[in-house]
Amino acid sequence: MEKVLCVDDDLSLLRLYQDELREEGYKVILAKDGKEALAKFEKEKPQVVVMDIRMPVMDGIETLTTMMGKDRQVPVILNTAYPQYRDNFMTWGAEAYVIKSSDLTELKQKIREVLNKRKKRAKS
Amino acid sequence: MVERIVGMVLAGGKGERLYPLTQDRAKPAVPFGGKYRIIDFTLSNCLNSGIRRLNLLTQYKSLSLNRHIMQGWNIFNPELEEYINLIPAQQRVGEDWYLGTADAIYQNIYVLQMDRPDLVLILSGDHIYKMNYMEMIAYHKENRADLTAGVIEMDKNLSRHFGVLQVDEEFRIVGFEEKPEIPKTIPGHPDLILANMGVYVFNTEILVRRVIEDAKDPDSQHDFGKNVIPAMVPQDRVYAYSFRDENKKTAKYWRDIGTLDAYYEASMDLVAIDPVFNLYDQEWPIRTYHPPIPPSKTVFFEEYEGGRIGGVYDSLVSGDCIISGGKVIRSILSPKVRIHSHSEVRDSILMDGADVGRHVRVNRAIVDKGIRIPDGYKIGFNLQEDAQKFMVTESGIVVISKGTILS
Repeated sequence: MEKVLCVDDDLSLLRLYQDELREEGYKVILAKDGKEALAKFEKEKPQVVVMDIRMPVMDGIETLTTMMGKDRQVPVILNTAYPQYRDNFMTWGAEAYVIKSSDLTELKQKIREVLNKRKKRAKS
Repeated sequence: MVERIVGMVLAGGKGERLYPLTQDRAKPAVPFGGKYRIIDFTLSNCLNSGIRRLNLLTQYKSLSLNRHIMQGWNIFNPELEEYINLIPAQQRVGEDWYLGTADAIYQNIYVLQMDRPDLVLILSGDHIYKMNYMEMIAYHKENRADLTAGVIEMDKNLSRHFGVLQVDEEFRIVGFEEKPEIPKTIPGHPDLILANMGVYVFNTEILVRRVIEDAKDPDSQHDFGKNVIPAMVPQDRVYAYSFRDENKKTAKYWRDIGTLDAYYEASMDLVAIDPVFNLYDQEWPIRTYHPPIPPSKTVFFEEYEGGRIGGVYDSLVSGDCIISGGKVIRSILSPKVRIHSHSEVRDSILMDGADVGRHVRVNRAIVDKGIRIPDGYKIGFNLQEDAQKFMVTESGIVVISKGTILS
């Protein structure tokens, strides 16, 4: 089963991700900030990371940078309410940038794309 | 609108083939021409081109380089948003040293995010040449290019030493080969190739995108020449810019002083009657650190048989040297060198504070900083013997490394 690590300081949103992504057939791991995400990232080795940017303790940009330092191929989907971070070069290492919404259709679509890309890369 | 341009100078070169001159210093910090360091030439190009926002990316053995930059290049005005930043490899992105030229930029994307320039000029801190980068930038804009790479025409027989760029009639780059045996030549010039100088102008956003893609590619060596340019050729507007030399001699001058013999030859060119590389052009000043030192002097003019004469011929002499009753011929003296009575130094390079005792003979040697040569010593006359104690190059240059104690 493919593992998705979801990182957000909004716990109700995390629960929503958990329910909906489980239904899609993923194993869902949750973290409430960047620091916790890094620990779970190392332990669980998820195939894809869905991450908020504005979070306490360690924000999504620093977490992304650190994750890429450990594994440059790690696919991270940044999931934020703020479109302005899209211009920040430090977010460009992410595979995708999704604007937060209670409708998870786009996010689910991006997760599938990222996983397919990863599989293709592994084959070639 | 005036573009915001930032220079990223790659100054982390180990210079392994220049060992032992790089025993205690990075290649850009190796002394050259008596009073300069290799990096002074690239930084002077920036200054003379009006590029005054510079980030120097350092890594190995950077102490000597840092000190030189602090002492000699602390001249930028922050009120005009000018700066020179020394940026050590910070392992901010992972625990690797820079894996290649492209990786050095990748690991410093946050620097570009802080400044948000329109264009990034990427330079190597270990080449010697004179170039007005603004002309290259104008060419880049004219072509509406994503990337422009500086190139120099070379004889095709030299292709094995360089990255060779292949261009179409418009000088758009269509291919790249690293050190090919049988190179692609310039259209219409079957004897010439275009060698990659490692001078790049990038639109910032394309640069950031392409180095991130490169960083994620596990098969890449993370080098601009070998990986990033070839990946850009099919999808981006990539142009070659034929280097216009500010040195104003018949042949264009650009040297990557990669080996000790190349270092020696490039240095000896400076003492020729008409050197290829001109240090005396007031329109293209080369800046360096000027310590507060006294003028050099020669001592003794005893015009009788057996008398001592302190003299310097066909040589470069930096400040605070005292040539006292000895002779210096076709040599380069860095500051604070002492030559004592009855000694003779020929065809050699003596770095800061080298002290040549009495009755010494030095021939075709590179003597590093602070070496004391005791009275009566001979260097460069019996290479087999010298090779037991010192490094001797292929062409027979004796190199005495920093910290060596001669007795």
